[in-house]
Amino acid sequence: MYLSLSWRNIWRNKKRTLIAAASVFFAVITAIIMRSAQHGSYAYMIDSSAKLYSGYLQIQGQGYWENRSMDHSINPSEKDYGFIKTTPHVTSVTPRLEGFALVSYGPATKVAQVIGTDPKLEMQMTGLENKLVKGRFLDPESDGVLVAEGLATMLKLQIGDSLVLFGQGYHGQVAAAIYPVIGFVKMPFQELNNGIVFLNLTTAQMFFQAVDRITSIAVMIENPTYLDDTIKHLKQLDNYAIMRWDEMMPDLKQNIQLDNASGIIMLIILYIVITFGVFGTVMMMVSERYKEFGILVSVGMRKWRLMIVTTIESIFVAFIGVIAGMIASFPVVYYLHLHPIRFSGEGTQMFDSLGIEPIFNFSTDPGIFITQAFVVLIIALGAAIYPLLFIRKLKPVEALHH
Amino acid sequence: MKYQNLIISMLLILFLFQIAFSQDAKSIVQKANELLRSKSSYSELTMEVIKEDWSREFEMKVWALEPDYALVLIIAPASDKGTVTLKRKNQVWNWLPSIRKEIKIPPSMMLQSWMGSDFTNDDLVRQSSIVEDYNHTLIGEEKFSGYDCYKIQLDPKPDAGVVWGKILSWITKEGYMELKAEYYDEDDYLVKSMIGGNIRQMGGRTIPTHWEMIPEDKPGQKTVMDYKTIEFNAKIKETFFSKQNMKRVR
Repeated sequence: MYLSLSWRNIWRNKKRTLIAAASVFFAVITAIIMRSAQHGSYAYMIDSSAKLYSGYLQIQGQGYWENRSMDHSINPSEKDYGFIKTTPHVTSVTPRLEGFALVSYGPATKVAQVIGTDPKLEMQMTGLENKLVKGRFLDPESDGVLVAEGLATMLKLQIGDSLVLFGQGYHGQVAAAIYPVIGFVKMPFQELNNGIVFLNLTTAQMFFQAVDRITSIAVMIENPTYLDDTIKHLKQLDNYAIMRWDEMMPDLKQNIQLDNASGIIMLIILYIVITFGVFGTVMMMVSERYKEFGILVSVGMRKWRLMIVTTIESIFVAFIGVIAGMIASFPVVYYLHLHPIRFSGEGTQMFDSLGIEPIFNFSTDPGIFITQAFVVLIIALGAAIYPLLFIRKLKPVEALHH
Repeated sequence: MKYQNLIISMLLILFLFQIAFSQDAKSIVQKANELLRSKSSYSELTMEVIKEDWSREFEMKVWALEPDYALVLIIAPASDKGTVTLKRKNQVWNWLPSIRKEIKIPPSMMLQSWMGSDFTNDDLVRQSSIVEDYNHTLIGEEKFSGYDCYKIQLDPKPDAGVVWGKILSWITKEGYMELKAEYYDEDDYLVKSMIGGNIRQMGGRTIPTHWEMIPEDKPGQKTVMDYKTIEFNAKIKETFFSKQNMKRVR
């Protein structure tokens, strides 16, 4: 009885109901879009940083990460590779041998990170070939090297020049060699762009005198949500160390945490604004119905029954607003997810320092829709307490003469 | 009066005895040092670098002109063949045939390992002399690998440019061969030991031809050297130790 009474009540004055529902509706949309933008950009940052180089996780020799010494390199068996590749959710597996060396051409000498990698697998994972700006990509047959664009400029290199590499190899052996430069790659952030040289894995193993050895296997997975499961599965290989992206890139994680903290403050401010908006609407509606409530109570309606009816009304209105908001925000977020906002100016700095493109991405994670809708629903229902208090204090005589 | 004289003379005797004794220790060290050195020398040796799970053997030729010049040529394995290390006074140069470049080892790299061994670049150029830069004390006699040895403690003189806190040295009574040396840091921790063995007649002298350098902080790791030939007082001129010759030497 209460239900149908409330239902009829809310449609008695369509305009009023729509205004109330609209305030909830817009609150839901704003909250969802804001949170989706935050989550989306974090996921994007993590994903592109992982794709840029490190992968979501890496399998390394135990003790390698602490001092990046080639002495902690590994020589995984085919069986181990097979195990890693067949781990659920793993999409690509890239073995690499990394070290540092002096690179020299003519009178100029710089320090660079020398990375030996499998060209095909590297392309699959990081799309390195797409970063090629001049020359050709690594191929397994030649011992040519790819030089990061910034480094090439500093050394005044041209395609076809002979680059001298000199450093310390496996167990402190002398690593020295001359390789032809076959291409330049543009790395997205300066530190990398000024100091990276790519070699074939086998060439690098020759150079560092570390035959068949690698320092790490970068692993990409379908989705970071599977990270823990994947790691748990990989932990069965007990003679390796497994590093997560947030262990390898603690600055990225801290940046995200910092940004998330300020995002949450913004969100709280948004909630406060929403609360006042919804509350204002409710107050207006109640004062509009002052006389109506007065008459109802005077003709014998119990106050608590009236309270039940108004509560159910509030719930209806809130639900209409929330559900409409969720439905309406989905296409908006989805559109923005497909067409992320590219921006310029001051805001690009943080992205630059993380080495990713300045893009505002949006997340379509259903969790965001549900939590934000839920929070707004709670706010709306909280505002519905006001009419109850109002009815409790209602004096029918005064109300009738209003 | 009488007693006083007696005491003074006794003290004097003790003091003289002390000097005589310490000079004895010094001359032992000096003789041991001279046994392995000569104004110039040429030698061929193998050096094996042994780590816990890995090892590698080098063959090399060494020319030396005391105390300022040395040249080391690697002749095996193939990947390092032709690599030359040249010491001139306190500078070290490398010639790397694979990149046709000579490289001066900067001061920052002096303490890095030489060819991955337990020797540092600094070990090659160190000027300190175990005779001149230390005070020597004979602290006992011990048998070491079947030889009667003097056990001598070397404490660096205050103004000597020495990295060790002390060195313990075992030198055979017969032939003055240093068979073992232990290097301690300033906190009296053993840092590394050098052990000689395989005593043979070589280059007209009886010397240990097998040497092991064992760093204490890296278990399972050592560098082993075996001399194949040594020629003492070889005819080598100073001009031999030139940067040009690094590229020519065979």
